[in-house]
Amino acid sequence: MNSKANPSNETDATNGGLDGGSHGHIELKYQPAVPVPKGKLAVWLFLSTEIMFFTALIGTYIVLRFGAPEGSWPTPGDVRVLEWLGAVNTFVLICSSVTIVFGMEAAKQNKAGKAKSWLFGTFVLGCVFLGIKAYEYNSKFEHGIHPGTPRSLLYDRADLNYLSAVKSNLDAEILSLEKEKTALVSESVVPHDHDVLDTLVLIRAGLVQWTQRTVGEAENPMMRELALESLAHQINPRTSNPRVEAYLASENADVKNQIAELMGQQETVEQDVREMQERIDVLSEQLKAEQDDARKPDIESELSAATEASKTAATKATELVDLLTPLENRVSAYEQFNGLHEGLNEHFHLKLPMVIPSGNTWANTYFLMTGFHALHVLGGLVAFMVLLMLRLDRSRAGLMENVGLYWHFVDIVWIFLFPLLYLF
Amino acid sequence: MNETDAINRDATGNSNTKVFLFVFLMLCALTGISFWVANSYLMENRVVGWSAMMLVSVAKALLVILFFMHLWWERAWKYVLTIPALFMGVLLVLLLVPDVGYRYLTYSKDRRENAPKPVVSDTIDVNPANYEIR
Repeated sequence: MNSKANPSNETDATNGGLDGGSHGHIELKYQPAVPVPKGKLAVWLFLSTEIMFFTALIGTYIVLRFGAPEGSWPTPGDVRVLEWLGAVNTFVLICSSVTIVFGMEAAKQNKAGKAKSWLFGTFVLGCVFLGIKAYEYNSKFEHGIHPGTPRSLLYDRADLNYLSAVKSNLDAEILSLEKEKTALVSESVVPHDHDVLDTLVLIRAGLVQWTQRTVGEAENPMMRELALESLAHQINPRTSNPRVEAYLASENADVKNQIAELMGQQETVEQDVREMQERIDVLSEQLKAEQDDARKPDIESELSAATEASKTAATKATELVDLLTPLENRVSAYEQFNGLHEGLNEHFHLKLPMVIPSGNTWANTYFLMTGFHALHVLGGLVAFMVLLMLRLDRSRAGLMENVGLYWHFVDIVWIFLFPLLYLF
Repeated sequence: MNETDAINRDATGNSNTKVFLFVFLMLCALTGISFWVANSYLMENRVVGWSAMMLVSVAKALLVILFFMHLWWERAWKYVLTIPALFMGVLLVLLLVPDVGYRYLTYSKDRRENAPKPVVSDTIDVNPANYEIR
């Protein structure tokens, strides 16, 4: 197999069958271009295609990441990435690379038992890696981070599109909870998650509908932007945002002033209603007591005027209530939700749409890269299982080496993924 | 060939074990270094921090590929299989740089208005004391 070890064959082959000795019998000899076993050559060829495959994936991510303007890429906290967990997984894979190298060395020294235990260790470490990966995937799914539509809850910026997404999401959730509640009531079961429904209704009235109104009425585009941003901030605060917090506080003070003003108006209107009622009572008494028919029409006309005035006052009172209700909802929403540092989604375990700039790009690339990597790990584990069924003596050292080469490549891919996904 | 190779390496088997352990320690240390870089002053200039972490990763990959994958001890065929693949991969990435890497430099007005919005925005700065609602 090795050309250097067999120089005489080489001269035969270069001469081909052209020398006169053996007419009719051209003796073809296999001359390997690469002086390694065929299996190892195949693995290396496969790995060189894999290099191109993963460089394309990782390189695209690098170009996307480096090209994102500052601040427009999710931070690890945004997308629920735990740096230390990634570091643990890196360590697990490094250890597994070492164990499989020792396994191969043991096989070369014909120590089959030792080789098998090293290989088993590698297998276990690969399973640990996949377990941690599964845990990480799950924590992302729980927080609404999915690879793209229809499940993704991530939006690039707080705009009208985002607002309508929050609204329709909330409406659907409230509708299903109400249905559930009526179903429970008809089965005469006491509904227990009353609070969730109440919270959602308050969010709809005090945050979403309020923001819709503010956005609709705002003349200043900055105000519109602040209102939308504050909604996104209350649902899922990315960092502490002093600008939005100051906006919310000053708005709250303003709303309270308006409420006080309206309450004053309400009081005078209620006074009017009471006075009119008294006047009506007095007039109708007079009308009953009056004997003189000539004076009756005067009192009647006074009475109808008083009734009219009382009706107007009552209408004004209901109008005031209509004006007050959204303001009061806003204040109670502010009081109830403003202290929550982790945001509504986290605090109440809701799944409202969130604003994370480039969040979907991140999620797509993250799941694509780690998913393909995890599939490769899975492939390695299958190969280990096959190897574990064999007797790993010297004759299998080449096989061990081939599987090891593949496994080290998987490790190398993770070596690049770890800083890119966890530390950048 | 396989067996002769194995026997050859058996002769230096002990030193190989030492090499592998040394590489293992180096890999752990380098992981620690990239973790340190991510939380250090180097990240004040993000391109410097990122480049440092990428260099650490390249060093780690080289250690694995040279020693765990035995390329250090292989003959010249290793270049035939690795260099062209690496070249193609890097070329592909470089081809993406003008269109993807510099994408935000050529955003249209429309595109900019719908692009992911950075957290810290210099264009909009409002003092809440200066406005009233409605």
